[in-house]
Amino acid sequence: MDYDVLIIGAGPAGYVAAIRAGQVGLKTAIVEKKYIGGMCLNWGCIPTKAILESAKLFDKSKHLEEFGIDGIDVGKLSFNWNKTKSRSTRITKKLSAGVNYLLKKNGVELITGTAKLGSDHSVYVDDKKITASNIIIATGSKPKAMDNALANAPVAEMETLFSLDSIPENIVVTGNHVSAVEMAQFFKLIDKKVTLVANSSYFLDGLDDHLIAYITKKLVTDKIDLILNDYPEKFVNGELLIGGNKIKCDLLVNCNSRKAILLDSETPLELTERGFIKTSDQFETNLKGVYAIGDVSGKSFVAHVASAQGIYVINTIKGIKSNFNGEIYPINMYTVPEIAQIGMTEQAIKDEGINYKISEFPLSANGKAMIEGNTEGSIRMLSDKKYGQVLGVQIVAANATDMIAEASAFMSIEGTVYDVAQTIHAHPTVSEIFLEAGFDAVDKAIHK
Amino acid sequence: MRYIFNFPDIGEGLEEGTILEWYVTKGQAVKSGQALVRMETDKVVTDIPSPKNGTIAATFGNVGEIVHVGSPLVEIEMEGVFGAEAVAEAQAPVTAPIEEEGAAVVGTMELAGKNALLAASDEGSSKQEPETKPLRKVLATPLARAMARDLNIDINQVTGTGPSGRVTKTDIETYHPTKKSTTPVEQHETYQQPSSAGESITYEPLTQIRKAIAKNMINSKLNAAHMSVFEEVEISNLMSIRERYKTIYTDKNTKLTYLPFIVKATVNALKQHRQLNAQIDLENDRMIYKNYYNIAIAIDTPEGLVVPVIKDADRLSILEIAQKITALSDKAKARKLTLEEMKDGTFTLTNYGSIGGIYATPVINYPQAGILGIGRIVQKPIVKNDQIVVGNVLPLSLSVDHRIVDGGEASRFMNCILEYLSDPVMMMME
Repeated sequence: MDYDVLIIGAGPAGYVAAIRAGQVGLKTAIVEKKYIGGMCLNWGCIPTKAILESAKLFDKSKHLEEFGIDGIDVGKLSFNWNKTKSRSTRITKKLSAGVNYLLKKNGVELITGTAKLGSDHSVYVDDKKITASNIIIATGSKPKAMDNALANAPVAEMETLFSLDSIPENIVVTGNHVSAVEMAQFFKLIDKKVTLVANSSYFLDGLDDHLIAYITKKLVTDKIDLILNDYPEKFVNGELLIGGNKIKCDLLVNCNSRKAILLDSETPLELTERGFIKTSDQFETNLKGVYAIGDVSGKSFVAHVASAQGIYVINTIKGIKSNFNGEIYPINMYTVPEIAQIGMTEQAIKDEGINYKISEFPLSANGKAMIEGNTEGSIRMLSDKKYGQVLGVQIVAANATDMIAEASAFMSIEGTVYDVAQTIHAHPTVSEIFLEAGFDAVDKAIHK
Repeated sequence: MRYIFNFPDIGEGLEEGTILEWYVTKGQAVKSGQALVRMETDKVVTDIPSPKNGTIAATFGNVGEIVHVGSPLVEIEMEGVFGAEAVAEAQAPVTAPIEEEGAAVVGTMELAGKNALLAASDEGSSKQEPETKPLRKVLATPLARAMARDLNIDINQVTGTGPSGRVTKTDIETYHPTKKSTTPVEQHETYQQPSSAGESITYEPLTQIRKAIAKNMINSKLNAAHMSVFEEVEISNLMSIRERYKTIYTDKNTKLTYLPFIVKATVNALKQHRQLNAQIDLENDRMIYKNYYNIAIAIDTPEGLVVPVIKDADRLSILEIAQKITALSDKAKARKLTLEEMKDGTFTLTNYGSIGGIYATPVINYPQAGILGIGRIVQKPIVKNDQIVVGNVLPLSLSVDHRIVDGGEASRFMNCILEYLSDPVMMMME
């Protein structure tokens, strides 16, 4: 065998697994077609959040007077897409170089090319045969391609968005999930006319109904047109035909639901109904010694879970006993305000017949939120009535995506509302809303 | 402040006792735990220790007199105790004192976790020296702790599968699968009498110590192949030796009972019969012979049986063994034994005779190879030089793990002990 571990795909699942494998002393190689860091680093998590940050700042700059800053001529403010892109590229390049460095530092061999799965623990990279005791497929996913009927439309994939020189006026975003909402809001923040077409009945599937209701309302306030349960049929004369409506469209952004990026395999890989690679609880495929992690296994579609899966699989290969709890992980939306959710939704709790309690606290009563001028939002904590175990947390707040980490920590150690209430939180902070929600669950919030 | 100590109810339903011997006289300083008087009841011959520190102001009753439970035994002048403190002292409950608190007919209780040693209540002795260093707190998630409390599970007994062995919700559920159901179900309905009949049954949760005892007992019974052998030994020689030195050592604040002699005899016998000081390791197909002699002593406490260990008993004199027994026994009663003092016994003695009982079939303190039960000394006719005379007979009951110890070896071991006890000088010689 050439390697102990061969990893295909250098996204957050693959590259983290590779570093971990190197750290535990496995002879490791990673095959990547194009981008170190994968979608996450190159046209997903990182760059989209970078441009969102620019857009948020652009929007906030219009209200600087409220904070006592004079001299800004709001009429003269403009959003420079190319500078925004350059800033984003600088960040991704720096991070990509960092990943490269870490791979080298941990003795991981980087092989550039397209991989094909052979038989008997072998992989062909551009016809060169490589053998490895363990093979990990981490090829990721991409949004489902637009219908052929829309071939004439100005379609932008996330990957190609960053090669546009300018952003036109009328934007249509298709998709049902977090990234579609984020992108719709991005274009709106830079003053474009935006329509979000949720082309299935699974709009924001997996989020709590309470959050879905909030987001739907927020889209209306933001003046983003939302079309649910419909799909663009045709593109004629600069207009999309959607369920009898004609919508002006200069750019059609594809944030559709994701499909696995599969690789060729001599022995067919068993797939799920939805076309992802079928794996055991240990992420092993139907082929012995061949694992699939990250989006391609369809078990989750977020980078942080993919990385956790990668570490878990390497531990398993190395014989290090570790647990994988794939149920408790944050789902973040980098909108304005941010939205974060972890654990069970209220629907799921009801379905399980658990006797539960909801404790809530609004940001409008939080000092730091007022200071920052971000009083929109709240925390909502769902706990079981018997022992007070925190089952789910939902936060709407300017920094919700960072704040949710506190919930991750106490939920991963099966914390209860008593623990939350007894944890001293610094004042003034937005995180004090955790304390309040804890008190609200145990007895009564102090400041409510 | 003077304190009148009444003859306590020492259990076993006795109502009166006969004074056999006074260990103290008027004006003598006594310490708490020091033997005051030797009493004989219809079941036990026992020393009654002082409940307080102080000076004996008066003793009530002469040798041979019968004292009823609740009648005064001694009056103690407690120095430096005045006013409210004195009243509190005087009103403090006195636990029944018995010589070495004898034993139960059973062996074990080695590792039962902190709670087993220091169960819930603190019984008035709270402001003494800081509690012995607790065992490392078991890692558990807050939810697991809440569940364990609710389900009355000792979380120390649960194996944790979380990071660093943390006990999680799943572990609690695995440990106690029957309690998984969240809806409380009224159990034992079939035992309930019609309400007019009143409460005929009381349900009480098991204490930690009781759970540990139950677990260890059944573990022993399920794993060891119990076999018992009974013997009697005439110990007049030993009695006279003890009588001779008892008073001398009482002045040195040492209770010289029969037990230290029996410990010595046992250790000497163990040295010659290593099968009895061993354990079997079936997993690795081997015997483990111990080249040290840690004698565990079963002690009966109000909370239940505890079995502290006299470490390296072979290196101690009989006097030192006696002191050790007193110390361990006092600690056991005060629930101050540390885990260290309960660990690593190699053979166990159970002195049930101090409470009552001639023969027994003691349960082995698993994984040890044997346990020696000491019965009550009885006067009975024996044949000596073809004459029937009055003998002082000590009955002994030995249980062994028949997987380790063959019948012949058990009998040879027993013979060895009998020899030492009937001719005590021999055990000093060796």
